[in-house]
Order: sequence, then structure tokens, then C-alpha cells
Amino acid sequence: MNNTALIGNPNTGKTSLFNALTSSYQYVGNWSGVTVEKKVGQLRNKAGSITDLPGVYSLNPVSRDEGVVATFLVGQEPSAIINIVDASQLERNLYLTLQMLEYGKPLLIGLNMMDVAESRGVHIQIEVLSRMLGVPVIPLVARTGKGCHELLEVMSHNSSQTAAPDWILDYGETVEQAILDISRELAKFIPNASLSTRWAALQLLENNQAVRHALKLDDDCSRRLDTLLEGTERSLAATDPSMTLTHYLRSVRMARIQEILKSAVITQPKARPTLTDRIDQMAMHPFWGVPLFLTFMYVTFKLTFDWLGNPLSDMLDTFISGPLSTFISGALEALNVSGFTAALILDGIVAGVGGVLVFMPQIFIMFLIISFIEDTGYMARITVMLDRLMEMVGLNGKSLIPFIIGFGCNVPAIMASRGIEQEKERTLTMLLVPLMSCSARLPVYALFAGVFFARSQALVVFSLYILGILLTLLLAKLFSRTIFKNQKSFYFIELPPYRLPQGRTLFRSTWEKGKGFLRKAGTFILAGSVLIWMMSYLGPGGVAESMDDSFLAYVGGLIAPLLQPVGFGTWQAGAALMTGFMAKEVVVSTMNIIYHVPDINGLQVQISSAFTPLQAYSFMSFILLYTPCLATVGVLRKETSSWKWTAFSVAYAVLLAYLVSIVIYQGGKLIF
Amino acid sequence: MQPRSENLIRLKPGHSAVISQLIHIDPMLRRRLADLGIHEGASITVKRYCLWGGPVLLECRGQLLSIRRREAARIEVSGS
Repeated sequence: MNNTALIGNPNTGKTSLFNALTSSYQYVGNWSGVTVEKKVGQLRNKAGSITDLPGVYSLNPVSRDEGVVATFLVGQEPSAIINIVDASQLERNLYLTLQMLEYGKPLLIGLNMMDVAESRGVHIQIEVLSRMLGVPVIPLVARTGKGCHELLEVMSHNSSQTAAPDWILDYGETVEQAILDISRELAKFIPNASLSTRWAALQLLENNQAVRHALKLDDDCSRRLDTLLEGTERSLAATDPSMTLTHYLRSVRMARIQEILKSAVITQPKARPTLTDRIDQMAMHPFWGVPLFLTFMYVTFKLTFDWLGNPLSDMLDTFISGPLSTFISGALEALNVSGFTAALILDGIVAGVGGVLVFMPQIFIMFLIISFIEDTGYMARITVMLDRLMEMVGLNGKSLIPFIIGFGCNVPAIMASRGIEQEKERTLTMLLVPLMSCSARLPVYALFAGVFFARSQALVVFSLYILGILLTLLLAKLFSRTIFKNQKSFYFIELPPYRLPQGRTLFRSTWEKGKGFLRKAGTFILAGSVLIWMMSYLGPGGVAESMDDSFLAYVGGLIAPLLQPVGFGTWQAGAALMTGFMAKEVVVSTMNIIYHVPDINGLQVQISSAFTPLQAYSFMSFILLYTPCLATVGVLRKETSSWKWTAFSVAYAVLLAYLVSIVIYQGGKLIF
Repeated sequence: MQPRSENLIRLKPGHSAVISQLIHIDPMLRRRLADLGIHEGASITVKRYCLWGGPVLLECRGQLLSIRRREAARIEVSGS
């Protein structure tokens, strides 16, 4: 079966190209040992599969995620390569291309963003470029799909000739000798000569640890290799003391690239400021920049909730608790299902899971807007403007993105932290994301604020969001000073030109984020709802006569005394908080079950007699802060690859919640 | 005649110079910059300085990027 690999720099429209070339795709889990997911698709022309490799500037990796590319090339040996190249950044992109030419497998270049290049006055002569590189070059505008058809045609035409590029770049006597010596050594480890030893040798000379690791050389060979490398390094230093091996290789390649560019590219520099420049004058304005961003955030939240999200959500709610429930109960009756099972399905599953699914509109709207902000390039500017603030507390401007996403759902937010290269800041960001008040906590706020603070609901809820943000900044500072002391970091971001996102890519981006939320609903909340319902139905003495005799009450009662100091030492509160660990929305579902009321009005009555306003506020703060939900804990574990950090995040959260609630409750009692 | 070498952040917004030294910056950052083709000999332009000691916006080889002032201060340029 033919397997093609898609390789290219980041931000070249690789995703758009992948989408345009494939009729379907799937994530086949993660590349081993890293957080990047492996994406494989089926080519439209049924020519086999295509694997999307992570975007890299060079095969020599900077991070472990980047190492995936080199490891794949050594281990998997794709039958063909498609190299997507950004026409407006040809010089930089060709660096990777040259390495791929040395790889020696059939190569096709997709020259993307021709339109951007033209608008900058950069005119590329395709035939010249193709001739100098020795491979087909097909112009594309991946966003619209233009050129993709030709690309696929050339691909299938090529495969029948297995046209491997005939490319040799002369690196000078010293290095060429080293290549020969190293190739000889490697020949023992690459028996069937399917992998180009020249390519491997060059990568090893460039100190590509990923390739080295993937070749699985034995100790003997490793030692000889090291000797060869040192020898070469010394020879080079003899002629030019400041020249390292890596630097030398790069300069040879760059020289060749300059030659190619001179022949193939005609530049007419345009003196007019680009559209991007003009937009940036406004977007990054020293005075208006941040207020503009805040306005965007305000509009985002308004759209997500008041204007669009809540109305849609209400409609969904009406449907689920109305026609859908009626239909299901009717079906259950018709099937003559037992009372227990019927109650389990209707009161447990439908109520529990349904209660979460009604949030789908808000979640997806928020993620759509965030994806839009990311894809236009505005997000990068935002991180620049706010980096100073982040830096003051030991974070990075890039941490802002996960934090913003965290207001929707913590699960995709933590996954978004992958974008932060520095480990210290990435871990710190992931630990702090749960303090961002996700949309799951909103139903709790809505319930309590609606009962106790009816006239200033918005203000009260807003205060909780602010509490979360302030604590984030405080803890960031604290953790940087203590746990993450002595860890260097730097900030670096590339600002892509502004562009209008393409619909298909935008929806896929949104779906990727929203998927996390749905998966959470489908698994944890489903299981949780069933469990909670059962715990409320059954008790130590069999089927519980009343809620007070149930397992739920029993376990809640165990915790209750601990919650006295924070103002809600009842088994009901204890039980609700415990179930909230499953997913924070479930707190409301549990209360529905515990107080055995059919709808929100009944629940409000019950709540108003069970809590005082101060207790209610303390409770809401506790919900805001205590432990990330189970799904978040799960993804934290996966992303940090460490039980230590996962346990820490739960522990500090519970402690923080307790402390803050005590301060609020006890402090409040003194004042009021 | 030796071209005088000075600090990148002495450049006023809109002004360009040629990079002469990148040795002093964080090695990983240097690698990231090299990936973008930004190394000694490249022409770099300062676009703007963000308020309150925030990051610097730079342009090099047609690419817009941003790094912190602290790092930018370690880049030497000449011939502005």
C-alpha cells in the first residue's frame, strides 16, 4: 500500500492542503512518546494513504514533538513525499526541501501561497525552480483547492516511474569524506539500502539526535560515529576556528539556496505598506490595542452566552426534557422495561447527560470564535500585547490562548498548551488552566446567583471569573518563585500575515476543540450520571426509602463535617461536591436528584432554604476552585505524562478552594 | 573601516540594520531564529516597541516576529 508523507514548514497551509487532498482522515492515536497526534488520511484519487507530519523548519528537531518527523522518515520510509512550500517565504522553506531532496525518495513540491508572493512583488519562475531542484513543482492555492487536482495527477503519474530526485550537493572535501566514512558504518545497520545513507550521514553530521536514536546503532558503532564527528569538527576548525559543523552545513545549503533563488525568483520590492501592516497599526496600537482586544473578548462572551448561545441552549433543553424524554419514556413503556431500568435511563442518563449536552451551543460558538481569532492571525498579536503581563507572573504570552479556551472548557484548553515550547511555562500553564471558570461551572453559578443575588446576578458571576483570574496570576507568581525557580525561558512568536480563514479549516479547528467536550460528556458524565443515580437510589439497606437513606447521603455525610468551616456542612452539599468531581455541571444534576425536584423552580425553593447568601457565595467559590473535573485530570495526566503533576493539580486546587472559602465564609460572618 | 556595532534596541522604530552578533542570546531562541533564516548578515528592521517594556516587533526576510526586549538587547547589529 502506498504511503505518502506530507511535510513542510509550520504556517504554510499544510492543513488546508491535507484537507483538500484527502476524502477522509482520522487520528490514529499519538506518535509514540509525544503529545502530537498522528493524522493519516485517504487520498482523493484513491492512490493510497497520506500521513500529515508536524510542521518543521528543519529535520533536526528542537523539541521532542519535532523529532517525530525524523523518526518517521527513518522508520516508516514513505513511498513518496509531498513538500508544501510557502512561495512568499521561499528562502526559509527551501532549507527543509534540500534535506528532503537528500532523503532520496520521490518528491513533489506543492508551491503554496502564490497569491501572497505575488502581492509582495515576488515572482517565481516555476520551470526554472523545478529544473534546478530536479523535481516537479506545482503551484497551489491550498485554501481554495486550486492546483490540488494537478498535484494528485502528477503524483499518480510519478509513482509509475518512481522518479527519485537525482540531487547531490557538494559539501567540500572534509565533509564529503566524512559522509563516505559514516555511510560505510551505517551500511551495516541499513541492510536493504532502502534508506539513503548519504542522507542519514548528513543528518548525523548535523547532530540530529532523533535520527541517531531512530537508527538504533549499537555502542560500538556509536563510538566510532562520535570519533568521526569529532574529527570532522576539528578539521573544519583548523581552517576557520569559529565554524562549527552544524553552522558549516547550514551555510553550504544556504549558499545553494541563494543560487537557486537568484535564477528562479524575480523580486519587485513594493514600497507600499501591506494590508497586514495597516491592520497592525490598529490592532497593536499602543493605546487602543488592549482595549480593542478586551472588546473582542466581551463580544465573544456576549455571543457565546446572551445573544446566541443561551437561546439555542434553551431550545435544546426544551427539546430534551420535552419531546425527547416523552419519546424515550414511551418507548421504554412499549418495551415493557422494568421500573428500575426506566428510572435509570430517564432520571439518570437522560437527565444527567442531557443536562450537559444543552451546553453544546455555547461551547461550539465560543470555540468557533476562538478558532477564528487564531486562524486570522490576530491571536498571535494578542499574545504579544499581553506578554508583559504574563511575564511578570512567570508565564508566557502564549499561555493566554489556553486560558481563553479554558473559559469554554478546560479539556481542549490544556491540549492547546502544547503550543508553548518551553516546558516550565507549559507545565505551569496547564496547572493553572483549571482556575479558568469553564462553562460547566456556569449552571451552578446561575442556580445560586439566581436565588440569592437575583438583582445583581451578572455582577456576582463576573466576580467569580475575576477571582479565578486573580488567583491564577497570584499562583503563577508563587509557583514560578518556588517550584519552577531556576528554569530559563524565552518568548518567541511568528506573526503570520492576516488572512481570512477558510470555512472548511475553520470548522475542522472548531470541531477539534469541541470534540474534547463531547467526549467528556459521552464518557465521564454518562458513567457519572449512572453512578450517582444508583447511589441515590440504593442505600445500605437496599433500595432507599428516601434520599436520606441512600449511599449518596451516607458518603456525603462522611464529608459534611469537613465542610462545616466553609459554610456548607450538610450531606447534600458534600454529595453534590463529590459528584462535581465527575464534571462540574453534575453538581446541579445531583442537587436535582437529591432534593428530588422535577425542575429548576422547585430546586430554587429548596436551595433558598438550605443555604444563606454568604454560604451560597462560599459554595460557588469552592466550585470554582476545587479540583479539576475528571476529564481535565485525565487530559492533564496525558499531557504532562506525570502522575506527580496531576496529583499536585488536584491537591493544590482542593487546598486553595478550602482556604478561599474559609476566608469568604468566616470573614463574611465577621463583617456581615 | 570597522562598521560600528550597537545594540538592536537602540534602533528607532522603522529603522533597519544588519545583524552582526547572535552569540549572546538563548541557544534555543538562536536556533528558532536560524530556522527562519535570521542569522548574522541578515538585515533586520525594528517595527515597534510594545508599551511598558513589552516585546519588540521585528521584521526580517519578509517575516514578522516578536521576542522579548531582554533577548533583543543581546542582539548586536551594525550599519544602521
